[in-house]
Amino acid sequence: MIVVTEKCVGCATCMLVCPKDAITVEGKAEINHELCENCRKCVNYCPVEAINFLKT
Amino acid sequence: MRIGVIGAGLGGLLSASLLSEMGYRVEVFEKLPFLGGRFTNFNYRGYEISTGALHMIPHGSRGPLARMLKKAGAKVEIVDSKPEGTALYNGEEVKISRKRIPLRSRIAFLAHCVKNWFKEVKLSELEKKLDDFSARYLRAFLGWSFSITPEQTTLSKIYPVYRSILELGGPGVPVGGCRSVIEALVEVIRSNDCEINRQKVSVIRKEGYGFSVHLENRTAKRFDVVISDIGHEETARLSGLKSYAKLEPSRGIKYSIAVKQSFIDHTGVLFTLNTRRISGMNQVTNADPNLGKQNFLMAHQPMLTTNVRFEISEGLKDLKELLKGYDYEILAVQSFSDGWPVNRALAGSDIGCKTPVNGLYVVGDGAKGHDIEVDGIALGVEEVVEEIRKTL
Ligand SMILES: Cc1cc2nc3c(=O)[nH]c(=O)nc-3n(C[C@H](O)[C@H](O)[C@H](O)COP(=O)(O)OP(=O)(O)OC[C@H]3O[C@@H](n4cnc5c(N)ncnc54)[C@H](O)[C@@H]3O)c2cc1C
Ligand code: SF4
Ligand code: SF4
Repeated sequence: MIVVTEKCVGCATCMLVCPKDAITVEGKAEINHELCENCRKCVNYCPVEAINFLKT
Repeated sequence: MRIGVIGAGLGGLLSASLLSEMGYRVEVFEKLPFLGGRFTNFNYRGYEISTGALHMIPHGSRGPLARMLKKAGAKVEIVDSKPEGTALYNGEEVKISRKRIPLRSRIAFLAHCVKNWFKEVKLSELEKKLDDFSARYLRAFLGWSFSITPEQTTLSKIYPVYRSILELGGPGVPVGGCRSVIEALVEVIRSNDCEINRQKVSVIRKEGYGFSVHLENRTAKRFDVVISDIGHEETARLSGLKSYAKLEPSRGIKYSIAVKQSFIDHTGVLFTLNTRRISGMNQVTNADPNLGKQNFLMAHQPMLTTNVRFEISEGLKDLKELLKGYDYEILAVQSFSDGWPVNRALAGSDIGCKTPVNGLYVVGDGAKGHDIEVDGIALGVEEVVEEIRKTL
């Protein structure tokens, strides 16, 4: 599962690159887990390493 | 002679392209899967939304960045803004010219210069003596250009910028947006057979006359000179130096907006003077229609409190009022602070490109020369390239 941590500054880079349109940002990123397919693109593109992938 | 460049932001790539053109062996390391840092763009729902910048080069085709791009052989077309800016004041769009600033305010400005030049007097003191239009324009200009308020800066810090704008003129938009600048630089670097690797640097260690740069994949590379594009503080941390710099970053919020009808009819900045937060807007599709499938507006505001959500709600209220009667959609709200700020150092407080270690230089934001934003970065890079040329 994709989890956004406290480090998020709200720059929306993750939203711009998410292939599933699963992210919205207004001050902080929020993941729509219904749409997310765990591709981890957002994890790699986040400039401040604020997104983690947790195995469930 | 081997040169390692840490970070593929504008500062890093500009340095690498110039040095590779001069025949040095350069290798760039970038931790992210994309190049350009805060100066590139992604196509999002048909709009070229940038990772940071407002797609503007402060002095357009006449400034230091344009000059250095040419020197590096990087081909970028820049559309200079005309007019450079207008202001939305009490519901009317007005031209910004000397005539618009009443004599009383011009005298107040001169008196302020003479009295306070060597003192750290905040610009808000000057603001109090200006007429309503000039005071609001000063605030909007600082907010748009630097994400700061008159309370946060002094005349001596801003004056060099003010001079360079008078001298070199206002902004321009690169055709293709920020990314076109990055792509042109990358092409130069690659055509000189220099590598750009996707690797995060974890340690910079001085060893004898050179450096070993340790990568996250546990390998290390040796260089004679290291150029860091990740800011002074992070550079100090990776090289185990006691922090020699404490810089205060500027924080801001950018809105990308699609509008059906055109909102601004020129390629410059529209400063918004009667707002809570929004300092200005530009409609970049006027300069390059390919930046968006409809009119593409960007609005920018400084953060006046540390509560990001509150700041955004204030900005959104402004936008609702400004865009009343227009068909628009807010595509992205992006906030910038801490590790990914608008500027790593408040305007005018950059500390140059040198570090306490010989052969270790910092470029980019926080290490600018005497100009603003990417034009300031270009001057900083020019100085580093010149230092290297002299010593090696
Ligand atoms: C909202 C906003 C609007 C702006 N508008 C404008 C504008 O219109 N005009 C203008 O001129 N400027 C503007 N700016 C400022 C401009 O974007 C920045 O000054 C500029 O992009 C900074 O470039 P840089 O080279 O200093 O650093 P960055 O772009 O931050 O690049 C640093 C790079 O280093 C990489 N990195 C970090 N750590 C490591 C590591 N350990 N190993 C490897 N790589 C690493 C990062 O991933 C990044 O790619 C704006 C900024 C913002 C946020
Ligand atoms: S890219 Fe990272 S910092 Fe930016 S909004 Fe997404 S999670 Fe937050
Ligand atoms: S993991 Fe992939 S699909 Fe899920 S939010 Fe991140 S980028 Fe989008």
